[in-house]
Amino acid sequence: MNNFKDLYKKREFAVFSLLVLLVVAVGIVNPVFLKVDTLNGVLDNSLILVLIALGEMFVLLTSGIDVSLGAITGLSAVVAGLSLNAGISYPVSIIYALGAALAAGMFNGFGVTVLEVPPIIMTLGTMGALRGLMYIITGGSWIDTIPIGFKSMSGITFLGISVFAWIVIALAVFLTVLVKKVRAARIFYYIGDNEEGAFFMGVSVKKGLFVAYSLAGLFAGLAGIVFVSRIGFIPMQTGSGQELRAIAACVLGGVSLSGGVGIPLSALVGGLFLTTIDSVLVFLKVPAFWNDAIAGAILIIVVLLDFRVRMLINEREKQERLKYVKRDRQKTGVLQ
Amino acid sequence: MKIKGEIFKRWEFIIFLLLLLEILVFGFFNSSFLNIKNILYSTTDFAHISLVALPLTLVIITGGIDISIASIMGLTSIVIGSTWSLGAPIQVAVSLGLLSGIAAGTFNGFLVAYTDIQPLVITLGTMFLYSGIATGIAGSLGASGYNGIGDFPEGFLSFAYGSIGFIPSSMIYIILFALFLGFILHRHWLGRSIYLIGVNVNTALYNGIKVKLVIVLTYTLTGLGSAIAGILLTSYFTSARSDLGSEALLPALTAVVLGGTNILGGSGTIIGTFIAAIFLGILKQGLMALGVTNNVSQVVIGLVLIVAVAAKLFFTKLKMNSGNSKIQTE
Amino acid sequence: MIHGEKIPDSEMRKDLVELNGIWKSFNGVAVLRGVNLDLKSGEIHALLGGNGSGKSTLMKILSGIYRKNAGTIRISGEECNFLNPSQAHESGIYLVPQEPKIFPNLSIEENIIIGTSYTLGSKTEEIKKMGQQLGFSESLSRPAGILSIAGQQLLEILRGLLRNVKILILDEPTSTLTFREVESLFKQLRNLKNQGIGVFFISHRINEILEIADRVSVLRDGNFVLDKPVAQLNETTLINAMLPDDRISKKIEETSQKKIAEGLAPLLKIRNLTGEAFNGISFSVMPGEIVGLAGVVGAGRTELAEGIVGIDKNVTGEVIIGNESFSQRSPGRSRKKGIVYVPEDRAAHGIFLDLQNLYTTSSSILSEMGKLFISNKKERQLGEYFIKKLGIKTNGPKQISRTLSGGNQQKIVISRAMACNPKVIILDEPTRGVDAEAREDVYDIIKSLIDLDVGILLISSDLEEVIRLSDRILVMYRGEIIEELSKDESTIERVTSGAFGVAG
Repeated sequence: MNNFKDLYKKREFAVFSLLVLLVVAVGIVNPVFLKVDTLNGVLDNSLILVLIALGEMFVLLTSGIDVSLGAITGLSAVVAGLSLNAGISYPVSIIYALGAALAAGMFNGFGVTVLEVPPIIMTLGTMGALRGLMYIITGGSWIDTIPIGFKSMSGITFLGISVFAWIVIALAVFLTVLVKKVRAARIFYYIGDNEEGAFFMGVSVKKGLFVAYSLAGLFAGLAGIVFVSRIGFIPMQTGSGQELRAIAACVLGGVSLSGGVGIPLSALVGGLFLTTIDSVLVFLKVPAFWNDAIAGAILIIVVLLDFRVRMLINEREKQERLKYVKRDRQKTGVLQ
Repeated sequence: MKIKGEIFKRWEFIIFLLLLLEILVFGFFNSSFLNIKNILYSTTDFAHISLVALPLTLVIITGGIDISIASIMGLTSIVIGSTWSLGAPIQVAVSLGLLSGIAAGTFNGFLVAYTDIQPLVITLGTMFLYSGIATGIAGSLGASGYNGIGDFPEGFLSFAYGSIGFIPSSMIYIILFALFLGFILHRHWLGRSIYLIGVNVNTALYNGIKVKLVIVLTYTLTGLGSAIAGILLTSYFTSARSDLGSEALLPALTAVVLGGTNILGGSGTIIGTFIAAIFLGILKQGLMALGVTNNVSQVVIGLVLIVAVAAKLFFTKLKMNSGNSKIQTE
Repeated sequence: MIHGEKIPDSEMRKDLVELNGIWKSFNGVAVLRGVNLDLKSGEIHALLGGNGSGKSTLMKILSGIYRKNAGTIRISGEECNFLNPSQAHESGIYLVPQEPKIFPNLSIEENIIIGTSYTLGSKTEEIKKMGQQLGFSESLSRPAGILSIAGQQLLEILRGLLRNVKILILDEPTSTLTFREVESLFKQLRNLKNQGIGVFFISHRINEILEIADRVSVLRDGNFVLDKPVAQLNETTLINAMLPDDRISKKIEETSQKKIAEGLAPLLKIRNLTGEAFNGISFSVMPGEIVGLAGVVGAGRTELAEGIVGIDKNVTGEVIIGNESFSQRSPGRSRKKGIVYVPEDRAAHGIFLDLQNLYTTSSSILSEMGKLFISNKKERQLGEYFIKKLGIKTNGPKQISRTLSGGNQQKIVISRAMACNPKVIILDEPTRGVDAEAREDVYDIIKSLIDLDVGILLISSDLEEVIRLSDRILVMYRGEIIEELSKDESTIERVTSGAFGVAG
């Protein structure tokens, strides 16, 4: 029974199995879906969401939340686009974009740790401010003259899979190893699992929180760069609403909003799952406008199932313990 | 005696002063702003925000949150539009729209009250679900484009554009809804239970408060407010669309928090949210009158939110510290 | 103060811990009055004492959680002054708190090394070996949340061992354990002892102390009154040591003077009530009667009360009110039937600290405060009535409860119960954290309630209080009523013996 409990906690595997099942099932209904190009397309479409979800995960691990990541993605895209159009070299443009995103993340971290503003308020405020800032620095017009060279970066493939996809997957795997093996990277788990206990054991909680929000900003920045290269133009609503999809991806992948649970692979699997749902409907001949309804329903069903299983496990443990207590009482009586 | 002095120390009063100051400043740049009629009409664009922010206050006082409000607005709008376009009388269409909003809110509340899943996760899921259903219906009817479903009768359109004397009808709905919720929150057992749950849910349980029922009802009321806002927006834009009000979440939450409600629950008032919503509505209009675009004013609103909460936290801390020195702990 | 002073070699060196003249007071009330205590290596030294005798405070000073006001602490002969728990850890002292501080989602191994400079995996073998010696069989890679309380305590002990602990402090480790778990814990303690580790063992259970300890010290009113090897002790000597010296001469003042009328039906009957922490409980409460429920912390009294009013629903057996069996209990339904519970943990379950006083007072009877809307006037009158009646020191019903003293907060909690107009009130530790003056007020309130024929179930760890107030005393030990004493039979010796598991 305990092993069952451990296994169920690894939700990223359960959702991954579900994802494979879904792909196979859709493939049976419509074999076109199983073509390499189709699956590659799904993978490429998921990259932006996965990157934002990776950043969001660090914040969620600390039992915080960041709703400004979509806006940071937009900011990063705008900074990259303007820099490129100003004739700045690719690497420097990327550094500018990432720098802006990191600064936004650090601003969130400052608000949460120094001003002690609750995370949802702090990041909501930043979200509004950054969206406005995007308009200010662009004058409100789309950026659609991205250099061809920058756009073609997203087309480079290696072993049939785009380099961007390789990078994102490698990043997710690397981060998973990092947070599992490196002591300093465990701090997010300590804070989220038992903040008081962490403080008691000498963990610097504020430092951990600051780093988490900064990292989240940085990853949203990466997402912005992928956006510029893949999409090739930057509308004002770039990244809009992506933070909520990223949170949904994390939750689907097994990250708990109460903190301390989840790994970077959760974000990858959850992001892939949401993107796949968006793609499969077309192949099942269901109109695409039902995408969100199905994604929302699946999210609710997954968390409700999770809740039921937890309740069952708790109930069983309680009964088990009661049985022990009763057996003890019968055996020994109250007084020895 | 002492109570009277207290009023001036209250957050609601500070916000009210800020509101007056705001009107004076904008009036200084543009004297037409000092006209009461203009002030009232300047908030029409913001009416749907006020209508959801008011009941959202109750949810947040219990320690919950609802981020599906914008989706419920769109759902309500599409339900009205689709039933109307399928031939139902407008009264029936509006009633069904209202019911769908209430049902959506109640469903949120039910999931929050009867599971231990965080309200944010639940309403995140239903946010996608409701807006997805709305776009699904709209798409099925071939009305997913910018124009949505239109051709509503005159009577329905006057819902948003009517007025009594110089008071625009949307202002009247807000005031009526605020009075209704104000009485519930500050005078009815339901409202009292909302505070008790927000301050200490365990004590509320031990003292026999019907915690689950109260929580469900706060989300139901939020669904109701979102539905009214959806109806108003449909009337205002003379068409039903699934994405109506989709930008409402940030300003609505800002109004609640700026109005003095603690995002972690336990305190807040309807009057505070009401004043803060008007403050934000006028801020937007005023900035626009000064030539600041809608989008730039977002920067201001976002920063106002952060600064207000940080300042409030700072002052409560000061107060707590001076209070704590009197009461010995340990 | 005499840092680096040479210590005579002979016997002192064996002393792991030496506490001299430790003073500690809170808010000007002395809890420890110059106590001396020592611990030798390979010794299990049990500390015994009533509630508030200062055992836990002393151990918290030793482990760096509290700071002493005066006195010296020597560890292995060297004077120490700990400012925080980590410094104490470095000196080889580890306190296992009553409620272990674990990270439920992290692996057991990580829980153990957290806060040290070891990396994950570098100490696996060592921890495994230590775990084996302790009989800790759980795989280290599993999340700590799966552990029982006993397992969590072993985890805490492993944390200490990994930090090379020489002095282990266990604060009431057995209060939440089953017999089986206690046995296994004791086996492990003996193991540790053989490795030369010294153990301070705080417990309320005399037979356990006699079983495991080498030496016992009894703390009473901030001073040790006994310090002897266990071989020279038995149940009676230990109980006697805990009792006040003047117990023979001091006649406990009678508070309850109401004669209970003959032939009345009981207000509340409990029949064979069984839950996780209590077993087969049966008793009844008559109108105007105070039934005392005595016992030590962890005896199952609070759990019983919560089972009666339906806060804990996982309970079998019957609660009978009047002649009706009352099933599907909840606090709200219990109130309607006339039973209210004044909980033990005031801040967590009893009062709305950040709201006005009258909000707590009226919280259970909101539906009676007006037809459609709560009547301001009616509610204020209710608040003012109780402020006057219970002598609550406050600016008025609208003052925020957090700014009141503990005693006055307690009166607010009681006013909530009284406002329900109950037939039976269950008072759980009604005078804990309450100053002497307010305590007498609470007693007066209880007296006024029985004058109104309200039945009272009084749960208290203050045995003198139970004896003074109760018409009848039920003594609970490990979840069962092991003794029922009439007013005449209730002596402090008998109640203490029962509460500490020694049946008279």
